[in-house]
Amino acid sequence: MSSSATTAPDRRAPSRGAEPDPRPAPPGAGSPAPPGKRRRFFLTDGWGALALPIAGYLLVVLIVPLAIVFARSFTDPTLGLGNYAAFFASPIYTDVLVNTFVTAITVTLITLLIGFPYAYLMTIAPPVWRSVLLVVVLVPFWTSLLVRSFALVLLLRDTGAINETLLSLGLISDPITMVRNFTGVLIGMVQVMLPFMVLPLYATMRGIDRRLLQAAEGLGARPAFAFWRVFVPLSAAGVAAGSLLVFIQSLGFYITPALLGGPDDVMLGELIVQQVSTVLNWGFASALAAVLLIVTLVLLAIASRFIDVRRIFWKEQ
Amino acid sequence: MTFKRKGVALAAVAMVGSSAACGGGAAAEDSKTLTVVMWGGSAQEAHVQSYVKPWAEVNGVEILQDQPTDYAKLRAQVESGEVSWGIVEVEPNFSATACEEGLLEKIDTEVVDTSVLDPQFVNECAIPNLQYAFNIAYNTDVFGEDHPTTWEEFFDTEQFPGKRGFWKYVTGGILEAALLADGVPADELYPLDVDRAFEKLDTIKDDIVFYETGDQQVQLLASGEAPLVQAWNGRVFQAAQQGQPVANEFNQHFLSYDQVVIPKGYPNADLAMEWMGHFVTDLQGQAADTRASAYAPVNDKALELLEPEILEELPTSEENAAKRATVIDYDWWAENYDAVSERFNEWLAS
Repeated sequence: MSSSATTAPDRRAPSRGAEPDPRPAPPGAGSPAPPGKRRRFFLTDGWGALALPIAGYLLVVLIVPLAIVFARSFTDPTLGLGNYAAFFASPIYTDVLVNTFVTAITVTLITLLIGFPYAYLMTIAPPVWRSVLLVVVLVPFWTSLLVRSFALVLLLRDTGAINETLLSLGLISDPITMVRNFTGVLIGMVQVMLPFMVLPLYATMRGIDRRLLQAAEGLGARPAFAFWRVFVPLSAAGVAAGSLLVFIQSLGFYITPALLGGPDDVMLGELIVQQVSTVLNWGFASALAAVLLIVTLVLLAIASRFIDVRRIFWKEQ
Repeated sequence: MTFKRKGVALAAVAMVGSSAACGGGAAAEDSKTLTVVMWGGSAQEAHVQSYVKPWAEVNGVEILQDQPTDYAKLRAQVESGEVSWGIVEVEPNFSATACEEGLLEKIDTEVVDTSVLDPQFVNECAIPNLQYAFNIAYNTDVFGEDHPTTWEEFFDTEQFPGKRGFWKYVTGGILEAALLADGVPADELYPLDVDRAFEKLDTIKDDIVFYETGDQQVQLLASGEAPLVQAWNGRVFQAAQQGQPVANEFNQHFLSYDQVVIPKGYPNADLAMEWMGHFVTDLQGQAADTRASAYAPVNDKALELLEPEILEELPTSEENAAKRATVIDYDWWAENYDAVSERFNEWLAS
């Protein structure tokens, strides 16, 4: 997202556009310049040089391959817009693109709904319980995505543990279909994505001065009202950061939907892998990847009209 | 559809960069090394132990392995001229296309006596390494003796209620099965009437459960979630041997096969070719592989070495071969794969 490392040496601190940046320089951008004086370009600053290795690394492993992918989408197998014409000619690809975004947005909203109270609980829990809650949310990081997806199938399928139990207890007469459909995809993806929502939320909430809530209540606000008008707005940066992380990562999923979803829950990642590995049509695969990237960037651009993306990443506590 | 075979491809997708560890083949041009790449898992282990390692020991060749086969990597290696894969197990429609595109070494028939093989399984760049069936498999707890024995019965959800499992991969025999079920005679299957096949599949679409991997296939079948599955006979046989309630029905099975190829420009291509020459008449090795992996040998003489209880479970034994519907026509698939696979995706998503 931050293109600051690759922009031409701008005299100002890493600001992405031409408009002056009224905010203070981000952490790590060197010593704050005296007011009224221009700040030094951070890369020429002694500390800023620490960013050069990662910038070089990203150039080699991200920017260059991305450029090749873009180029290939216009040149393979023949020069022109053929790959993009093929994309829009068949309803399958646009349907799958829409499905990809619908899935990613739904997953983001559900993780937010679950993650927000969870992160809040972490901020008010005593230290021991806070550690327990943290471990619980981190467990997914320590187990293989594939193993978890297979395990979920065993648990959720029609003849799985949950349905067998409910059936034997007589609570249901027919198994509830929870896997190989959209429900299965959501259960699987939310479970994977939850840490990416909870951790930024927790980091933000921990920095909120709880005395502000007391102050609001002291001024006559009911607790719920104070929470809604004071705490929630102050946690907005965490909400935006978590949502962004979850949304972007969800767009690229394909193993989980392939294992837990039904035939119509295909996401674009799955079609890209198929084009790369099975059909060997790399030009078309590149075009699929380019479309996904461009649509994502456009959505982010629109979102940044309403959310200050820079503030999410550079917010000073 | 995305993931190929035998249950391990997914695992490999998760282990990004596993192949990077195995770039030694190209670097070791002078020494006698051979890198073998197959679909992975216990099947690859069986193949390599049975008919690659013994040959390598006699000839002083060091065998390196990678898994699973990835056509994109193969193509990237050939295009960049850095070929580290020597023997690669592939699907026949890929070998036909890739041979035409010049991605594969041509088979030297002076070194490899292809006359001992069934000619329909051989092409200019590939020889077969195993045979297996896409057949009806059933859960023995749900269906006993009166299980479906034809694809018409397999598609009859009234007489045989329950979900049907199919491979989410279009060349896996699903269209062929639908056409047989719809009354097309087996010898008139190809060229496939794709429209008719999808119309027939529409009639049971709500009852279909798709699997991506061999493990999932057995899971579906053994758990009873899908008591009927169009399966790979070897997988079901292995599960049955482990005591799971599953069995194969060989009537109207489709015979399929895998091939081995040598990527163009592999430094030790001569050595790879030598192995191929040995393999086609290595009856002991092929029989040993069949015992370990339940895939049928490609030299029919190897059948004579096998025990009756294993022959019973092979699609190429005399008794089962008589029940065959047809051999999958991979030449047709090579020409039509792209278009039909797109059509399949559309049908899945609709």
